[in-house]
Order: sequence, then C-alpha cells, then structure tokens
Amino acid sequence: MSTLLLLVIALTTYGSRAAAVVLLPRPGARFETVLSRIPAAIFAGLATATLLGEGGTLAGPPILGAAAGALVATPARSLLLCLVGGAIGYGVGALVG
Amino acid sequence: MRGNPLSPAPAGVPAVRTIVARSLPAAAAVAVFGTLYGAAARGILGVPLTLLSSVIIYSGALQFAMVALLGVGTAALPLLLTALVLNLRHVVLGAALRSRFESGPLGRAGLAFFLVDETFGFAIAAGNAVEPAAVGRTTERTLLVAGLTLYVAWLVGTLVGVLGGGLTAVESAAGAIFPVLFIGLASLAATRRSHVIRALAAAVLTALVAWLLPGLRMLAPVAAGVLVALPGRER
Repeated sequence: MSTLLLLVIALTTYGSRAAAVVLLPRPGARFETVLSRIPAAIFAGLATATLLGEGGTLAGPPILGAAAGALVATPARSLLLCLVGGAIGYGVGALVG
Repeated sequence: MRGNPLSPAPAGVPAVRTIVARSLPAAAAVAVFGTLYGAAARGILGVPLTLLSSVIIYSGALQFAMVALLGVGTAALPLLLTALVLNLRHVVLGAALRSRFESGPLGRAGLAFFLVDETFGFAIAAGNAVEPAAVGRTTERTLLVAGLTLYVAWLVGTLVGVLGGGLTAVESAAGAIFPVLFIGLASLAATRRSHVIRALAAAVLTALVAWLLPGLRMLAPVAAGVLVALPGRER
C-alpha cells in the first residue's frame, strides 16, 4: 500500500464525516423529526451487529451475557448502570459458558 | 467556531473531566482494539504506515477491513470502494447531529474529524440530558472531548501493538464493551416510546441483513436506522 492511497482513504473518511456536518444547512422541521428518530435505532442496530459475527453467527456466552445484563439495566436510562449490568452479565456468561 | 468548546462550562454543560470520565470505559476498549490493529497491520503496512493510518483515518472498522483486504492482495480500487461504503454511515450520523451544532462551518469542520460511532452516541446522549439552551454547547463539547479521549486511546493502542504488545487475553472482555455501550446509548437516545419500538425494529432488521447478506453487516445498522425512522408523523 502506498502513502498516496492511504491519504486518499483518509480524505474520503474525513469527507464522509464533514459532508453533512459542514455542508448541510440546518434541517427543516419534518427532516429534523426523522433525524431525531435515527440515533436510538442506529445504536440498537450497532449493538446487534456487534453480537453477530460473519454469516450471522452469535457471539460467545460472555458477550451475550454482557448484552443481556445491559438490556436489563436499560429502564434506568443510565450508562453507568448499563455498564455495571454488562459486567455482571459478562461474569455470569463466562461461568455458564 | 462560536465560543471555544473547551472554555469553562456554563450552567448545564458537562465539565471536561466529566466527559472524559464517561468516555473512559469506551476508551479502554478502543485501546485494546488499537493494540490488536497495530499488531495485525504491522506486518502488512509496515510500522510507519500503520501509525500514519491511525493518525489520519481514526476508524477502527475501516482500518481492520483495509488490513484484511490488503492481506489477501486486494487492489486499490476495491479498497477505495470498501472505504466509501463503510464511510457512508458517517453522512447519516453527521446529518443527525447537524441541527444540534451552533458553531460556524470552520468549527464544524474541526469537530467532524471526531465523528465516530461512539462519540456520536456520547454527544447525542449528553445533548438529550440538558436543557434546550445548553444542547448545542453540550453536543459540541462532548463530541470534541470524547473524540480526543478515544483518539488518544486508539493511537496509544496502535503504538503498543506496533511495538509488539499483546492484549489478546482481554480481547473478549473488550469485545463485550461495545454491545453494552451501544445498548446503553440506545436507552439514553430513546426519549419516546416510539423510539424504543423503532430501535427494536432496527435491531431485528440488522440481524436479518447480517444473516442474509453478511457482506453488508457493517452498513446494516445505519440502513436499518434510517428505514425505521421514516414512517409516521409524530416526533
């Protein structure tokens, strides 16, 4: 791999980050409503993606346990409690698995 | 940039040390993955390009994919196409953050470098937790401080990996941080019942895509997030 190719990849990456942040005007009400719904959905999707490997195989019991522990803590709407729940779930998953 | 995001915090805006403290678990996990990346990339890119890649790209998903593709002899064009596809999600994340920013174009251009999945989450969650008048400042400050914290962790991890440090013993535990983090961030971002329902639908859609079209696994969360956000008129 050449330095030039690496620079081009870095530029496309930064460009993708800056495209909407810098160039997009403040969105209108309808667009903003749709955008406000996106974060929770993306995080739920990202959580799911991190639990699945190539071909849709599930992660191991400790990681599934961690996710379950975090899910149990979600009604508290606290990142700290989700991390604590995840740590407990990880331990339980490691013991069971 | 209108106002410096690092200047003393006005009422309601979280302090720098608070944001750093909240970012530390994710930073620890990022450092572990940085180490794994450094160790994996060193033999393929060489030490200088491995370090340079982490400095100028700052994207774990893309950098791991890049090394994997280079390892099997992929040419430049497919590599660039992979980068473009993986980077598409940033456009959606940026659009979702755009209305919360108060800075001018230059300030936003500086903040954009720190837009990754985790910092997006921290910024959205922090903005949701404050009064409307403090949302802009809180979002920008959180994106910058959390972004710097994770960036340093990524660089240190890469350096340790390049120098031959191994953290494979904690790889599994580090791998558990991300689903836990994203579940926690989803709960913070879901401020309405309809958000919870859409989040569950996005999770199901993502799982289906990952199972049926494994090549699109990394794009599935964003595509699913956008699809479930479109229907309906309520906020």
